[in-house]
Amino acid sequence: MIVAQNLTKNFGKVEALKDISFEIGRGEIVGFLGKNGAGKTTLMRILASYLSPTSGKVLIAGKDIARHSLFARRNIGYLPETPPLYTNMTVREYLKFAARLKDIPPARLRPSVDKVMDDCRLRYVQNRLIANLSKGYKQRIGIAQAIINDPEILILDEPTSGLDPVQIQQVRKLMKDIEYKRTVLLSTHILSEIEQTARRILIVNRGKIIVDQSVKGLLGQYPGLTLEDIFLELNPPQAERADD
Amino acid sequence: MIKIFTIVQKELCAYFKSPIACIVLVVTVSVFNIFFYMIIDQNREATLRDVFQVMEFMFVFLVPLFTMRVFAEEKSTGTMEFLMTTPTSNTAIVVGKYLGSFLFFSLIVSTTLVYYLVIEYFGHPDRAATATGILGLWLEGGLFVAVGVLASSWTRSQVIAAISSYAILFSLYFSITFSKYVSAPAQEFLQYFSTMTHAANFSVGVVAPGDVVYYLSGIFCCLFLARISVENRLWR
Repeated sequence: MIVAQNLTKNFGKVEALKDISFEIGRGEIVGFLGKNGAGKTTLMRILASYLSPTSGKVLIAGKDIARHSLFARRNIGYLPETPPLYTNMTVREYLKFAARLKDIPPARLRPSVDKVMDDCRLRYVQNRLIANLSKGYKQRIGIAQAIINDPEILILDEPTSGLDPVQIQQVRKLMKDIEYKRTVLLSTHILSEIEQTARRILIVNRGKIIVDQSVKGLLGQYPGLTLEDIFLELNPPQAERADD
Repeated sequence: MIKIFTIVQKELCAYFKSPIACIVLVVTVSVFNIFFYMIIDQNREATLRDVFQVMEFMFVFLVPLFTMRVFAEEKSTGTMEFLMTTPTSNTAIVVGKYLGSFLFFSLIVSTTLVYYLVIEYFGHPDRAATATGILGLWLEGGLFVAVGVLASSWTRSQVIAAISSYAILFSLYFSITFSKYVSAPAQEFLQYFSTMTHAANFSVGVVAPGDVVYYLSGIFCCLFLARISVENRLWR
């Protein structure tokens, strides 16, 4: 479903991604794990065709996203790190706007917005201005816009940041519900989250993938250790440079 | 096409949901009214030529105030990332945003129709010259808005967007005043380059193809550059 080939991204002299390659199959839930500044967001932005890589390419369903950008965007639902919301709109207005931009035909506009509001439990606040809502609601509106057109691929950059434990559970449940139907990539630095939702794990460190394994396989490889212990072992604090 | 309309609608809503639209409309219309009264009172002529000139000058200052947010705001709040990852072409985004601001500008220009009714009631104005004057003002504003949209596509700071638009608009508008200090070929260029030269023709009732081409090509050029800037994420 998603194939990344030798992705490199430089921002001036800083190498954010160094020759990254991986393949993700249909229906997989993959967790991107890494410290802050490891390159997770850059990688997700490239996959969502927001940034173009310095070299290398990404194939979505066999098509190069540099050439078929609109095709890729139609099939990807993307939630950036900060939910991209127009705070002067109401929840319903915003979701309607998102639905229109995502090629939902006018006749299906209302049912799609209603459905996604039910899925993300936003009905109660549908006519409130986004500016006046709490962070948890904002995060859920962000998820709602990502799934509104039923994309095959979901790319979620830290989907549970800023949510309270109850809301985190709800997001996880949402993720479980869509498992096997969609390919999901989520990034986080909350380890328990990966353990509970993802089947496969990619650990990114300084722009490189250092682990690409199933969660079970990784835990089996280090018997007796939790995911947190493994992560700390692979990302030792003393290796941190001043410029990280 | 539907997406352009969606973005136009969203842009217009953004103006009217924030205090910007009200402040800009009230302040502009009040200032225009004062100048209209002063000019008509002084000249005692049933013509809007001088009123148009004042308005044109005011637009140089006014337009960047409402175009500066067009792209800069989206970039600073992160919604640009949303727009650019939806299946919407960059052309649709730029054209939609331009048309949104241009329609808002057209609303301001449409208030001048009241001035026409006033002079028509009290005198015998040259209807054709008034009509072409409004057309000229409208086209010139179209170019100003396009410059504002272009400048806004370069940066995530609204202040920088406004200042860049001012720099471009001032050099466009005032270049004619510098033409006397340079030699012949440069002089001609500066005269042609200035929006004042072209607007003057419209206000006396002359619609020359050259003037129309000047404005339309200027608008096209700015939007084309804005599209390149958006496509290549030049603000990073």
